[in-house]
Amino acid sequence: MTVKIVTDSLSDITSDLAGELGITVVPLYVRFGEEIYRDRVEITTEEFYRRLVSESTFPSTTQPTPNDFAEVYNNLARETDEILVIVVSSKLSGTYQSATQAKEGFEGKCRIEIVDSLSVAMGMGLIVISAAKAVQAGANLDEVTRLALGAVSRSHMVIYFDTLKYLAKGGRIGKARGLLGSMLSVKPILTMKDGELAPLTRMRSLSAGMDYLYNAVADVPRIDQLAVEHTTNPADADAMTERLSAIYQKGHIYRSDISPVIGVHAGPNALAVSLLEA
Amino acid sequence: MSEVKSIAGQDLREMFSAAASWLEKSAAEIDALNVFPVPDGDTGTNMMLTMRSTMEEAYRAPDHSASGVAHAMAKGALMGARGNSGVILSQIWRGLAQDLEGKESFTAAELASALQQSTLVAYRALSDPVEGTILTVMKDAAAAAQAQVAEGNDDIIDVMEATVNAAGDSVANTPSLLKVLRDAGVVDAGGQGLYTILDGALRYLRGETELMRLRKPQIIVSELPYAVSLSQAVGIEEVPYGYCTEFMLKGEKLEPDDIKKRLEKKGESLIVVGDDSTVRIHIHTLNPGAIVRFATKLGTMHQVSIRNMDEQHQDFLEMQKDRMPVTETAVIAVVSGDGLTDVFSSLGAASVVPGGQTMNPSTRDLLQAVESTFSEKVILLPNNKNIVLTANQVQSLTQKSVVVVPTETIPQGVVALLAFDYEADFKTNADIMARALSSVRSIEITRAVRSSRINDLKIKRKQPIGLVDGDLVAVGDSNLDVINQVLARLDLGEAEVVTIYYGDDIELDEAEQIGASITERHPQLQIEVIRGGQPHYSYIISVE
Repeated sequence: MTVKIVTDSLSDITSDLAGELGITVVPLYVRFGEEIYRDRVEITTEEFYRRLVSESTFPSTTQPTPNDFAEVYNNLARETDEILVIVVSSKLSGTYQSATQAKEGFEGKCRIEIVDSLSVAMGMGLIVISAAKAVQAGANLDEVTRLALGAVSRSHMVIYFDTLKYLAKGGRIGKARGLLGSMLSVKPILTMKDGELAPLTRMRSLSAGMDYLYNAVADVPRIDQLAVEHTTNPADADAMTERLSAIYQKGHIYRSDISPVIGVHAGPNALAVSLLEA
Repeated sequence: MSEVKSIAGQDLREMFSAAASWLEKSAAEIDALNVFPVPDGDTGTNMMLTMRSTMEEAYRAPDHSASGVAHAMAKGALMGARGNSGVILSQIWRGLAQDLEGKESFTAAELASALQQSTLVAYRALSDPVEGTILTVMKDAAAAAQAQVAEGNDDIIDVMEATVNAAGDSVANTPSLLKVLRDAGVVDAGGQGLYTILDGALRYLRGETELMRLRKPQIIVSELPYAVSLSQAVGIEEVPYGYCTEFMLKGEKLEPDDIKKRLEKKGESLIVVGDDSTVRIHIHTLNPGAIVRFATKLGTMHQVSIRNMDEQHQDFLEMQKDRMPVTETAVIAVVSGDGLTDVFSSLGAASVVPGGQTMNPSTRDLLQAVESTFSEKVILLPNNKNIVLTANQVQSLTQKSVVVVPTETIPQGVVALLAFDYEADFKTNADIMARALSSVRSIEITRAVRSSRINDLKIKRKQPIGLVDGDLVAVGDSNLDVINQVLARLDLGEAEVVTIYYGDDIELDEAEQIGASITERHPQLQIEVIRGGQPHYSYIISVE
C-alpha cells in the first residue's frame, strides 16, 4: 500500500496541488475576535488579508486539535497502513503536538511518522511536495521519512516584508524582534532559522527587496525545487517568478500565497521565495 | 469638574482599594516586563498580592481617620509584602503613614509632603538604591506633586494628575537609566506597578469607577527606540546569584537597623524594614542557612521563601537569547545630534560616539568605545571624511578585530548599517557594508562661514550652501532654493527613497514643507522627514 502524506494548511499547498499529489491538508484555525474559521476551507487567504488590513481586530491562528488529526488518521487508515505527517515548525505552532497526541491515542494498525519541518509556508510546502513525489515514485514510509528529514536541512526561505507594522503587533516573532523600533521606514528581509523567524537584513524599497530575493536564489548553485509566494500582491510575485525562471529553467516554479501564520506578521505586499537545495 | 480640597480616611481607603483592583488587571502584563534585578518574572503578581494584604488591613482598621487608615495600610503591606517591589511598596505606605500621623484628613499640600516622605523612606530601605526603578518613579512623582502645590494649586485631583503624569513619564524613561531594561526593550516593572496604583487612585478621585470596570490600565512603552545590542551581552560572565531569601521576622525589641548592619555582608540586594515587633527581610545570598540561623535567634520566622536564582537566571538567559539577534559583530558609529543618535541605535548600532564636523572625536574616544563593547569584532563607521583617519588608528591599538568602513557622510553611515547582514560573518559584513556606500548620494546644506568663490560660485558669508558627496555645488538665498538646485543636478531617475534629516536650527514645519515640495516635483519618490538634531548642517539629505 502506498504511503499517505499529511500536512497542515500552513504548508501553502493549494487544493489543486494537494489533489494532484494525493496530499491531505489539515487546516489550522484563524480567529478574528470571536469568529473562528478553518484556514483555506472556511476563509480564503485573500479574505484573510482583506480583513487583516481593513479591520481593527488583530487575528490569531490556532493549531488543529488532536481530534482533527485523529479523524484524518482514522480515515486514511482505511486505505493505507503507512502515514507520513509533515507539520509546521514546532517553534511557531503547537500543530506538531496535536499531530503527536493524535498519534499516541491512535489505536489502528497503521504506522505513523511525524516530521517537524522547522519551516513554514512553501519552505515546508516544498518538503511536502518532494515527499509526495517520492511516494508516487514508489518510496515506502522509511524511505520517504528519511527523505523528508533530509529535505528539512536543505529547505531555505527568504521573505520580504513591506512593513514592520504587523510584525510589531504579532506575538511569536523570536529573533525578528530585533528589527522593531527602527526610526526609518525599513523593509525587513527575514528567513527561517532553527525553526523560527530570524532577521537577515533591511531594505529601503520594494525593488531593492526584490533584488535581494532574486540574488538569494541566484547564489544557490543547485536548486531542486523553487517556490514564490505573496500576501496581497500577486503581480509582484509574478514578476519575481518571471525573473527567476531565467535562472531556473529545469523545472516548475510553484506559486502560492503566504499562510496566515506568517501573514499576520508580514502584512500586505510581502513576498517570499523558498527553495530546496539539490 | 468638581474640586477636591481634602481627603478623609474613608476616601483614602477607597481610592487605594480601587487602585489595587486596577493593578490586578494588569498584574500579568507587569510580570512580563520583569527583568530586574533577576528575572523572577512576577513583579506584577508580587505587587498585587502586597496591595491585597495592604487593603485587607486597611479595612480591618478600627481608626477611620486618614492617619489610622494609612498606618493600617503600612502594617498590612509590611505583613504581606512579597518580592523586592512589594517591600519597597510597603515602605511607600510607611512614609505616607508617618507624614499623615494624627491627621483626620489631608489637603493637597499635605499629600505632596507625604509623598516626599514616602520617597525618603523607600530610598532608605535599600542599602544600595538603583535609579531607573520604582524608586525613581516615586521620586519623580513626588516632585511633581510638590511642584503643583508650590504653584499654589490646592485641588487634590490636579495635584494627583500631575503626579500620575510624572510617574508615567518617569516609567517611560527608566530604560535610559538602566541598561538591563534598555537591552531587554522594556520599562521597569516595579515602576510600572507604582504608576498603575497612582493612576488607579486618581481615577477613583475623578469618579471613574464604572469606567475602570471596563478598561484596562495602560502599560507604558519605552520612549527609547528599541536598540538591539548587536553584541551578545548575556552569558559573558557566570555570576552566581545564589538564593533569593525572603521572610518576616516576629519578635520583641527587634532593631531593624541593627539587623540590617549584621546582614549587610551576607549578600546582595538587602532590604530590612519594619519595627520592633515585625521585620521583613529580603536578601540575595549564597548561604541562606546562615541567614535563617541568625534570624531564628532573634524571633520566629514567617512566610519563608527561598528560591534558587541561578535557575531563574538560566531561564532569563534563554529568554534573552530568543530576543536578540545573535551576531558576533558590533557596529560603532560616530554621530552628532540626538535624532541621528536615535536613528543609528534604532538600526542596531551597538554604541554611538558623539562627534562630527568641527567636533572630531579623538582616537582615544573611539578606542574606548571599541574596548567597552562586549563584542570582540567591531565595525567602525566614522561618518565624516575627517574622522576616517582617526578611526583607522584604532586597529593597531586594540586586541580586538576592528574594520573601518570609510563612511564619509551620515547617509553613507545609514546605508552601511542598514545593509548589515545578521547571518554573515565579520569580514563579509564589512564588505557588504562597504559595497552599500555607492547606493547613496549625500546632500548637506549648511551656511558659508566666510565669503569666497569656489567652483565658480560666488558665496557670501552666512549664505546657505549645498554639498553633494562633499563637493560644494550650490549657493542660494534659502535652504529650499539650495536644495532644489542640488536635486536638479542629480539624476533622480533611479532614486527611490529620499530621507531628510533636519538639524537643530530647523523647525519641523520648514522641513515638512521642503519634503512636500520635493514630492510635488518628484511624485515617484518616497520621502521621509526625520529630526536629526545635528549641529552645523541645517539639512542632511540622503538619496537612495
